[in-house]
Amino acid sequence: MSKFNFLNKIYNIGPVFLLYYLSISEVDTNLEKIFEIFTFNLPIIIIYFWILKRPSIMGTGHIFFSGLINDVVMGFPLGISSLSNLVVCFFSNYVRNKSINTTIASDWFTFFIALIFANIVFFSLLNNFSDTIISYSKISYNTFFTLFLFPIFWLLFTIYQMNFIGGKDA
Amino acid sequence: MAVSRDDFSIAFRSALLQRGGAQKFSILSLIISAIFIFFLDVYGFTAMKTVRSVVNDVVFRISYLASSPVRILPTANEGLAKHFYLKKENEELRQVIEKYKSLELNLEFLSNENKNLRKILDSENDNSQKNIVLTKVLIDKNSPFLKSIIINKGTKAGVLKGMPVTKNNYLIGRIVDANYMSSRVLLLTDLNSRIPVTLGQNDSQAILSGSGLPNPKLEYLPEGYEITEGVSVFASGKEGIFAPGTPIGKTKANKGKYSNEVKLFVDPNQLSFVTVHLIRLNKEKN
Repeated sequence: MSKFNFLNKIYNIGPVFLLYYLSISEVDTNLEKIFEIFTFNLPIIIIYFWILKRPSIMGTGHIFFSGLINDVVMGFPLGISSLSNLVVCFFSNYVRNKSINTTIASDWFTFFIALIFANIVFFSLLNNFSDTIISYSKISYNTFFTLFLFPIFWLLFTIYQMNFIGGKDA
Repeated sequence: MAVSRDDFSIAFRSALLQRGGAQKFSILSLIISAIFIFFLDVYGFTAMKTVRSVVNDVVFRISYLASSPVRILPTANEGLAKHFYLKKENEELRQVIEKYKSLELNLEFLSNENKNLRKILDSENDNSQKNIVLTKVLIDKNSPFLKSIIINKGTKAGVLKGMPVTKNNYLIGRIVDANYMSSRVLLLTDLNSRIPVTLGQNDSQAILSGSGLPNPKLEYLPEGYEITEGVSVFASGKEGIFAPGTPIGKTKANKGKYSNEVKLFVDPNQLSFVTVHLIRLNKEKN
């Protein structure tokens, strides 16, 4: 029984661990070597999905802290990724409060709105309060591929949830 | 209608203020904290700079450790493959050493000749008496927006903001952020990178601008200048940071979107050790 509980805890921290690992390690989802414009934002997908489906395993403090780490590693002004992640978190919370049953299509549509707002916050702050120049075409490619790949990760995370975490949706 | 508005405000408030379970903090409090940290960092108060420098050093070291498995796996695989070709590689290296020995002699002759010519011209370069620091690349995280690397030397080793960074004497970028024990190098491919260069037999002047793509581009070329394939591009040193004549890359004769591109001598995605030139900075000093 205790072994089962221990394994359950390990599975539960999986998404948070992935979020931190993507923030702090060299592992990234910038696949420009494969295809010149292929980049996407996996942390945002992780945050949106798990806050929507299992808020009990994805604490807002972790989201805030992983954003700060990401800013340090990437060289952005501190707090900017945290803000962007928290905007996604807010949208996800709101959708969870307003809806009873969600489908992949409804999640995809609401994710699109969350992603647009998160990117607006991120890039308008960066543009107005930092000297960093950013390519707008790269932003749009990144947004497009993040949105495009959402259903794939939705399915993968749902499989993970059903096999390792279990229980009903929040 | 009123009920629907109530529903909206309840869900909205709940999304912002909800706590419980794993949610130890409300989103609103964290958003306020993030905004507070952001403005503290952006407006660069002295205390915040120090804090950021310490945080950078700590996070970069942890990040280096966290990335170890990712680094070790390809290296181990490569090492195994190399083991089978050791003899062949040894022979090839011997030939390369012989070649470099002859080149070294040639270089010594050219250096002496260059020194004598400089004396004649009475234009001795201040930057010629420079120190160099060999550094290890700690983090090479590929971002779609910023192209930079983290190295393991900082102000403790004399590294300052603005100093040029090379690999095998080829220019790869400059220091943009120096912490106590680590620094960030902005690569030539980054969108924020702009350096004056010289190219061709006429010493034409231009600006090499990063485009976020693997190859930076030449801008502000002389009017009517036609780019041909394989022309070497060097730092002109006009900004007082990069040593004049530091090789950068060769031009590519592409058309359209990829015109005016320069193929760098060093692949910015394959850096493990780089050299920082501790030159006296004329403009940028932090």
